[in-house]
Amino acid sequence: MKHSAIRPIALMLSRELTITALLLLGVSFVVFIILYLSPGDPFSVLLEGQMSTAEARAGLRELMGVPKAWHAQYLSWLTGMLQGNFGTSIRTGLPVLKEVLRVGLNTLVLTIGSMLVTLAIAVPIALYSAVRGTNRVSWPLTMFSYVVSALPVFWLGYLVIYFFTHKLGLFPLVFGYSSSVQKFGWLYPMLPILVLGIGNGTISEVIRYLRDEMGRVMSEDYIRTARAKGASVWKHAFKEGFLIPVTEIIASKIPFILGGAVIVEQVFNWPGMGRMAWQAAQDRDYPVIMGIAIISAVFVRLGSLFQSVVYVAVNPRASKE
Amino acid sequence: MKSYIQISGEIGELSELSFWKKTDIVDLAYVGYGLFIVTLVVISYILGSFNLLPQDPQDINLDLMIAPPGTAGHLLGTDFMGRDILSRLIVGIQAYFLPGLLAVFIALFFGTVLGVLAGYRGGRFETAITYFTNLVDSFPRLVLILLVIAAFKPNIYYIMIVVGLTNVPVVSSHIKGKIHFLKQKNFVEAGVSLGLPTRTIILKHILWHNCRSLLIIQATIGMAEAILMETSLSYLGFGVQEPTPSWGNMVQAGANYFMQGKFWLSTAPALSILFTILGFHLLGDGLNNILEGKRGK
Repeated sequence: MKHSAIRPIALMLSRELTITALLLLGVSFVVFIILYLSPGDPFSVLLEGQMSTAEARAGLRELMGVPKAWHAQYLSWLTGMLQGNFGTSIRTGLPVLKEVLRVGLNTLVLTIGSMLVTLAIAVPIALYSAVRGTNRVSWPLTMFSYVVSALPVFWLGYLVIYFFTHKLGLFPLVFGYSSSVQKFGWLYPMLPILVLGIGNGTISEVIRYLRDEMGRVMSEDYIRTARAKGASVWKHAFKEGFLIPVTEIIASKIPFILGGAVIVEQVFNWPGMGRMAWQAAQDRDYPVIMGIAIISAVFVRLGSLFQSVVYVAVNPRASKE
Repeated sequence: MKSYIQISGEIGELSELSFWKKTDIVDLAYVGYGLFIVTLVVISYILGSFNLLPQDPQDINLDLMIAPPGTAGHLLGTDFMGRDILSRLIVGIQAYFLPGLLAVFIALFFGTVLGVLAGYRGGRFETAITYFTNLVDSFPRLVLILLVIAAFKPNIYYIMIVVGLTNVPVVSSHIKGKIHFLKQKNFVEAGVSLGLPTRTIILKHILWHNCRSLLIIQATIGMAEAILMETSLSYLGFGVQEPTPSWGNMVQAGANYFMQGKFWLSTAPALSILFTILGFHLLGDGLNNILEGKRGK
């Protein structure tokens, strides 16, 4: 990176970090409000079946030093969270943050892997139809992308599991059993990544966006000039026509892929955040799911922060806007 | 065909060409398929409401369990309790139809209100709405819904309120963009100088005459989202519970049989989801290309 590009990035970074912080504050507030409005406060859950009278709850509240007014409650909850105290799981009694971060790594692998799969499918199709326009090849491809985007991802999961375990016999039906027999056991984690990459429902949007952006850049004057003087078109179109749109669409699709991960992790027994969220919703273990909501929002925000960094690195003027 | 199309002005303005000349046959096919699916869903919903079904969807027949499609009297076969799959598919529409409409209504109503505020008033409203949009986009929707389920209870109407609210930003940003565009037009200025009340300008001249198609398009997309969410959640076990059928819990219940090679139990509802969501998506995109003329590039 050239030296002159550093200053705009620093400027933009400070601004973006402020926005991110504000948004995460909002995220925590939304989560708090949902819990605040929920019927039955945490104390009635804690005291379930013991002495669930109003006095008992009030007594416990005082004993634990929990403030009464909602804004004071929010503030104390927020300070706790900023110090890394997300509470403990009602079901397991383990600290939420540690648990969520532990399984979050698996989800990170799953989501990043599936993004790459999505891109590996979408980019060639988008490039082809951006350069060639609508023709006999790109039209079926567009249709295919529509169909794939409407596929229920859980069923796609079954299809893939069936194909690989029964037809090809590559994996044991339940992962973990007799894994020594199977030569291709290490390939198993690829399946959920593949399934989520194909079935996260964003492919047709990704293709359309990339195609339109690439098509727009391809018809710019500077590309025509590059072509006329025999310079590499790809080299000139790369930043604006490829890098920026790809990071933009990926950053904006992170929440969808994380949502899809909830289902795919369920289908494949993938020990990640999504499965934990599902379990927590089953048990109404709200400290856990609260932690997951906040951690995934942080993840989404980091994605969009990354996108702005790329954008400004490519186009330093943008930092002044 | 497309190269003859001259889109005058910017996005949102239609050319003077006749309908057939400016419309792409592909878009018509999309809309045709979409309308077919919508009609099918509505008719099935009505049939389901009045219990006009090929078989009783709850009728357990242990002599005819897991009968393959095409068995006499059971066009799509029977499930693991011998219940008719086709009838259960039709009844399964009940699980998302009204809740989905609620989600669509919430998204359109609040989206329009916020969009008008941001587009017509601008300023602080616009900043606030951008913030709100980014805030909503920070949550994976499914995680937010699971949070609501954990905090309240797994009620489909609560879920659909969340789906509706999370769709608000998309609608409002479309409306906002449209109003920004329309405000440069003479008719808004003319309306103001004629002394028309702001209410009339916004409701009649902006929303009714110029945002109708946009709202219809957003409604179809919103319905697709709602169906996707309902089926995903009932698949995960948070929606409609057995024995009441929903497409999601039917896929889930058929999972074990799928691995034994008895595909139709899961596949029939899964393909219903596929074709229905595809229909709503294609309808939305086709209408978008035809009514909003975004194919001009």
